[in-house]
Amino acid sequence: MTPDPLDAMRLPIMPVEPRPEFAASLLRRLRGEPPPVSGRGATVRYFVADLDAAVAFYCRDLGFDEELRPAPSFAMLYHGHLRLLLSVPGPAHAMPDGTLPDPGGWNRIVIQVPDLAAAVEELRGRGARFRHEIVTGVAVRQALLEDPSGNLVELFEPLVGYHERAPQGGQ
Amino acid sequence: MGIEEGGTGGETPLAALYHRALPQVYGYLLPRCGSAVLAEDLTAETFMAAVAAAKKDRPPELTVAWLVGVARHKLVDHWRRADLERRKLGAIVSDAEAVDDPWEAQLDIAAAHAALSHLPAHQRAALTLRYLDGLPVAEVARELGRSLHATETLLVRAKAALRRSYEKGEGHDS
Repeated sequence: MTPDPLDAMRLPIMPVEPRPEFAASLLRRLRGEPPPVSGRGATVRYFVADLDAAVAFYCRDLGFDEELRPAPSFAMLYHGHLRLLLSVPGPAHAMPDGTLPDPGGWNRIVIQVPDLAAAVEELRGRGARFRHEIVTGVAVRQALLEDPSGNLVELFEPLVGYHERAPQGGQ
Repeated sequence: MGIEEGGTGGETPLAALYHRALPQVYGYLLPRCGSAVLAEDLTAETFMAAVAAAKKDRPPELTVAWLVGVARHKLVDHWRRADLERRKLGAIVSDAEAVDDPWEAQLDIAAAHAALSHLPAHQRAALTLRYLDGLPVAEVARELGRSLHATETLLVRAKAALRRSYEKGEGHDS
């Protein structure tokens, strides 16, 4: 029998260490420990066209922290209690007819800044795009910032008469 | 019940095996499926299957080789589901005509591995088991749940498809 040239494709197992977060989390699951409960804050997912540009924008320009970036298509960032998931649209997000979600739209996360005019000026200086000028709403001044993929971030500064629920006791 | 309960005070066999077996299982899956996300998913499924197996009346002896065997099943299952999904979407999973030309003597192995990722899932599964894992055809048939004859036919067609993918240079763009 002639040797099969495709035998050269043999691929012996070379050990590869997975991400430490994955290794630790799988071990917890194997031990039957409950999965970590989501923290106190909210989680929002944004679709982005360019993950590197998005992570740079949120971390450098808006003060988010990068928690995880396990794949070229996904990152997890934090801003206080807000967890922001950034995903590059891919097969996992496809609708049954193959339609992929797009970045953009009008829904947005809302972030408080102490001085809106200064924040807008500084961000403009770094080349950030705003969808319009600063406007005044109900007891707030706000501005609509666009991330590099066109997702909105609303920046606001509270005015006199501003209200939100006070922190619950015991925190 | 977790893997460290019910033991004799020490770690259970799977917990003791975990740190040694994890890079082997992940190292088996990662280059074969070509995606870290998928490799993590299948690695987790593999170890969860071991937890379930350890609870049986007559549990298998948990070894790295046993876990790699489970990982292989999980990979084949994944490719089977991928084929089903494609069929549901109306895609025709075509089999290439078999050709009888010999391969060039010096196979560009990296290119051949990359060309594999462009094949339909059932062909990719057959060639992975036969050549990357080096299983005999009868064992490939058993893993795939096909008859020996059907597996031989599948392998011939899969090789022809690989050949076309390889010669189109599909190995060089990914």
